[in-house]
Amino acid sequence: MIGIGEYRVGSFPMMTIGLGSCIGLVMFDPILNLGAMVHIMLPESSGRMDRPGKYADTAVPLLVRELNALGCKNRSIIAKMIGGASMFEYFGTNLNIGERNAEKVRMMLIEHHIQLAAEDVGGKFGRSVTFFPVENGKVVVRRANGTANNI
Amino acid sequence: MKLSTIQSDAIQELGNIGAAHAATTLSQMLGSTIEMSVPAVTVVDLSHLAEYMGEESAAMVAFELQGDIPHGGYILFYITRESAIRMTNTMLGLTETNRPLSEMDESALLEVGNIMVSAFLDATAELLGFVMLPSPPSLTIDMAHAAMQSLIAQMQEETNEVLLFSTELTCEEYKVDSDIIMMPERSTLNKIIELLENLMKTG
Repeated sequence: MIGIGEYRVGSFPMMTIGLGSCIGLVMFDPILNLGAMVHIMLPESSGRMDRPGKYADTAVPLLVRELNALGCKNRSIIAKMIGGASMFEYFGTNLNIGERNAEKVRMMLIEHHIQLAAEDVGGKFGRSVTFFPVENGKVVVRRANGTANNI
Repeated sequence: MKLSTIQSDAIQELGNIGAAHAATTLSQMLGSTIEMSVPAVTVVDLSHLAEYMGEESAAMVAFELQGDIPHGGYILFYITRESAIRMTNTMLGLTETNRPLSEMDESALLEVGNIMVSAFLDATAELLGFVMLPSPPSLTIDMAHAAMQSLIAQMQEETNEVLLFSTELTCEEYKVDSDIIMMPERSTLNKIIELLENLMKTG
């Protein structure tokens, strides 16, 4: 289980629950059968270094660096992102952190030349995610109403 | 973030007073007795939030704390989905528990949350001599962690820890289990502690 701001790297299944405005970002290398997952909370770190997994601008380079260290080439890394919802209508209107998180992740992926293969973002509902790095990066997204879909 | 035993006890006592008022209003609305837990004051690291709020489906009515401090944090009325249905059934005179929540349920939940949180904040404000008002309410019925996480992301003061201050209110007769959870910004918490310490000196 990956908590807010945390990340894992490996080939084992990884899970994070209850993404609201947060983003679950996964990256995998289908050639080396390796993957990584991070639970991002905010778009910008504004110079904070203590928890790089917490911010979109530091979490993307963090995962890329970790996968590179294990021999993954950027051109073979594939990313998927989940979350970025707006749970509370009244509070969400002026801030919309979920949308800003998703936008920042997209920008950072382009900057690092990482392909974004799929995304399940936005809406007004929470998502829980299970990621299987060795099953060609399969991602199962579950909602509170019991429905699940693969991306 | 570390609270001394005295600070933690003082906040608990404040919670007792607030929750007692909220419990009275809930008791009137349901026409039944409400039991109240001892308020729990917990400092939670964000990476461990899921240990406190998981995937369970709950109705949450959230309010921003306003008043003497404009963005003071958040307070919410939390009730599991099953309890929410039993509660609105009691209020609306329905019996079916295996049903989707309708607009009627949502209005009832908003209203209950509004009344209880207002009672809670009125009582604490009176004690502290410090005005805390609820913003208009916002309701979500979804995964508890997803809702809580979204509120924390919106807090003004960036932090890796939050103080959750929660009191459980239960109604044995209708099997209703709910919580009032307050999550103040660090500066609001410091202000509350300062006011409580002054009260203890003079009292």
